[in-house]
Amino acid sequence: MHGFFDDLTSDEPAAQGSPFPLMPEGEAVDMGTAPDGTPLIDPRIFDSPEFFRNPYPYYRILRDHYPVYHDKLHNCYWVTRYDDITECYFDDEGFNTIPKGSSSGVLGNTQLELSGVEHRRRRNLYGQHLVGKSLQLRVPAIERLARDMIGAWDEAAAAGSEYVIDEGARRTVELGRMFANEFPIRVVCEVLGFPQEAQADFYYWYNSMMSGLGGSETHKQGVEARQHLEDYVEGIVEARRKAPTYLYDKDGNPVGKDIISKLCETRVDGDFLSTEEITSNIALIVGGGGETTRGAIMNLWCLLLRHPDQFAAVLDDESNWDKAFHEMLRHSSSIGGQPRHNTFDIEMHGVHIPAGSLMNMVDFSANHDERIFKDPEKFNIFREDLYSGKLLRSGYRKEGRCSHMAFGVGPHLCPGAWISHQETVVGSKILSATMKNPVIREDKMPRDIDGAGPSPMGIVSVRDLWIEFDKP
Amino acid sequence: MAEKAEPIAGLNGVVVTKSDGDGSGYRTYEVYQRERVGESTEKIKPIQLVSDAYRVDPYPTLEVLREHYPCYRDWLGNRYWLTRYDDVTSVFADEANFETRSKLWFYGLEGFGRDLRHLLAVETAIARGLDDHVGNVAAGLISNMQVDGTADLARDFAARLPLTILAETLALPESERERFYALYWQAQRGAGWQPELQRKGEAALAGMAELFDPLVSARRGGEGEDLVSVIANAELDGGPASGADVAATLLEGDHETLHGTLANLWFLLLTHPDEFEKARSDRRLMKLAYLETLRHSAPVLSAKRFARHEVERFGRLLPEGALMMCSAAAANRDPRVFEDPDRFVVDRRDMCQREPRGQYRADGLASGIAFGLGKPSKHPAVPEDRPRSRYALVRDAAVAASMALVEQCPELKLADGVEPRLSALSVGEMHTCWQLPVNT
Repeated sequence: MHGFFDDLTSDEPAAQGSPFPLMPEGEAVDMGTAPDGTPLIDPRIFDSPEFFRNPYPYYRILRDHYPVYHDKLHNCYWVTRYDDITECYFDDEGFNTIPKGSSSGVLGNTQLELSGVEHRRRRNLYGQHLVGKSLQLRVPAIERLARDMIGAWDEAAAAGSEYVIDEGARRTVELGRMFANEFPIRVVCEVLGFPQEAQADFYYWYNSMMSGLGGSETHKQGVEARQHLEDYVEGIVEARRKAPTYLYDKDGNPVGKDIISKLCETRVDGDFLSTEEITSNIALIVGGGGETTRGAIMNLWCLLLRHPDQFAAVLDDESNWDKAFHEMLRHSSSIGGQPRHNTFDIEMHGVHIPAGSLMNMVDFSANHDERIFKDPEKFNIFREDLYSGKLLRSGYRKEGRCSHMAFGVGPHLCPGAWISHQETVVGSKILSATMKNPVIREDKMPRDIDGAGPSPMGIVSVRDLWIEFDKP
Repeated sequence: MAEKAEPIAGLNGVVVTKSDGDGSGYRTYEVYQRERVGESTEKIKPIQLVSDAYRVDPYPTLEVLREHYPCYRDWLGNRYWLTRYDDVTSVFADEANFETRSKLWFYGLEGFGRDLRHLLAVETAIARGLDDHVGNVAAGLISNMQVDGTADLARDFAARLPLTILAETLALPESERERFYALYWQAQRGAGWQPELQRKGEAALAGMAELFDPLVSARRGGEGEDLVSVIANAELDGGPASGADVAATLLEGDHETLHGTLANLWFLLLTHPDEFEKARSDRRLMKLAYLETLRHSAPVLSAKRFARHEVERFGRLLPEGALMMCSAAAANRDPRVFEDPDRFVVDRRDMCQREPRGQYRADGLASGIAFGLGKPSKHPAVPEDRPRSRYALVRDAAVAASMALVEQCPELKLADGVEPRLSALSVGEMHTCWQLPVNT
């Protein structure tokens, strides 16, 4: 007789590779179903290639069936609805941001990890230089850097670059390598006041720090790069303390000091900031100011060119660039979410969460929450439920319009939001003046993992973006 | 760092260090981490700790952790791994700072039923069940295995023995047993990370409650000494016990130490003929072989502990709620403690031969670390009226069953051409031998 114990022998090795097949975009792998029809979530999905290229159907299952999902494999709770996430973001005492080192030594001692009054104090020290009037002073520099980079395309084409290709009356450019990868870094260098000759080092440090995040095997390289950056910045800080440097307007007149020079003369309770305090915040500006803006430029152009009617509308009316920027960030931002830790035992949606648990707030999912945004998978710059006015730290939620979550909301709203907005929109306006009749060269675009079709955008930004346009 | 720094726990647990010299202001978790051990983890990727290779043979991966990253921050699993003997045992001995969480907590079903193992009567019934039934049950299983002359020791002996003893202890009617085995097994497996197993486990817990409800009612007020009768007649604060309480009590106990260690013991003996010769010669040496099996190939690879509050240990500031993976598998092969730790030696001279009682280094020798239920089998104070801890009860049952096997099957050997191995059904579950075909 075949009994219960006869089934106890199935320890066959698992198939190599991911247990999850690649699905058409927007469809989820079948991970089983409970008797009441609730789809099950296998937590290994969060590590799978399938999830990275096609995350949204899984977030939809979480939102609909597990608004707080206890993931026992990753020892965390996933929070996926817009309302829950905004509520947690505003309560930075109940859900604090000490990520217990998820930036793991690479970004350093920054206000990402502080809460409450300590956070406000430090954030305002440098945040003030990235908004409003101080920001306006930096726009000419942003414009100049964009023009310089675009201006170098002719030369690159003549030199036979792989990434600027002239064919007859048309030119094809890989926007990442020829513009978006480096542009935000140059802007950061400029506003911080780094000398031009340090830019190559700076670029290396930046890349190492980014790849060293999250405790990966490149972590050591990241920590070392940060140390080198810190040593370098320390020298600069000492020099700026004695001789501040300035930003200049179009005509070459000084309009204000760069951020490091400003920080050197900042006092808190009568004391100057220590060099250590300045360098760690510089490292954060470096870390936060590059990849995200790169992703914004790439995704914005990719989405607009794949929706030609909306692109035409943007060209017709320049004020639509802001709408496009915000809708792009709602649809495909390059920051997935933020970790929080609850300081008290709480119960959310019937799930008991002990104090000190890791709660992953999934901004991607909030941005695609159909409770807030109608038809969320659709890219539509004219959508009526998205607020696309001036960025507010308190968020916006009135008259059926809500702000997107790409910059977060509340006390930890991205301090670089405004400058990132300027870089993307100013840069894109200049790009659109150069690139006439642009189309995506789909034949050169990155392929999906299995090579079967074009790569979906997924939870990272577009890797390469090949655009063909009229040769100027 | 300035000298004479005075640490202050600031807002939200951020540690602020008042310094009086260079003006460098504050310290956070991150600063702690950067100051320690030149933190770098390039020798390992966290995905290795949940990989299929780990499921089959975790020891090479754990060695990397033990020798390079003794308190490894696993970002993927949001947990810390402890792998050295002294570190692991220090956490087990530290109830003030680290807590266990029940299997029902992992289920998210804390109100389902009451774990009644703290009652002396319940413990006694479990102990009596093991003592009284191991002989008969083992003899019966061995006779069945001899019918054809071939059998699978893992399936027909190691897996069946604990559950059959448990069924006897519960005085379950014969007709309910196969159903009970399946339910019990599903309930045990469901407390892990796999949603499909959890769903089945929840159903199995409900099924067990349903199975035991009529038995509890029928035996309430009776004279029976079986576990169900004892639970039915227990005087409890929250009202009389139900079938769910029996299920919760069985869930928090477990069969893994007996099942897994028996299977691993025989796997090791049959693949190490010289050691087998030693072990079969007498009961004392068989007991040593059992202890050495728990050290060399513990079926429960690691136990989870959660930090009750922020605590500085192992060169880190561990935050409140931090999950510590205390790896018995790694600690038991720590060369700082055991000589030539990868070798299976029945009469090992550097290991304590008594059960660990509240300390892991009795007689100046280290004990192997063993677990039942993810708890270490240490019982700090063994009650006077119950002279053996559960650790010892299980040990004696395993030794008695193994000696019965030696005596009834003097010619026992591996089936021809078989290459048995240890593995877990999935990462995080019991690591044991699932197929061990023998000629009886």
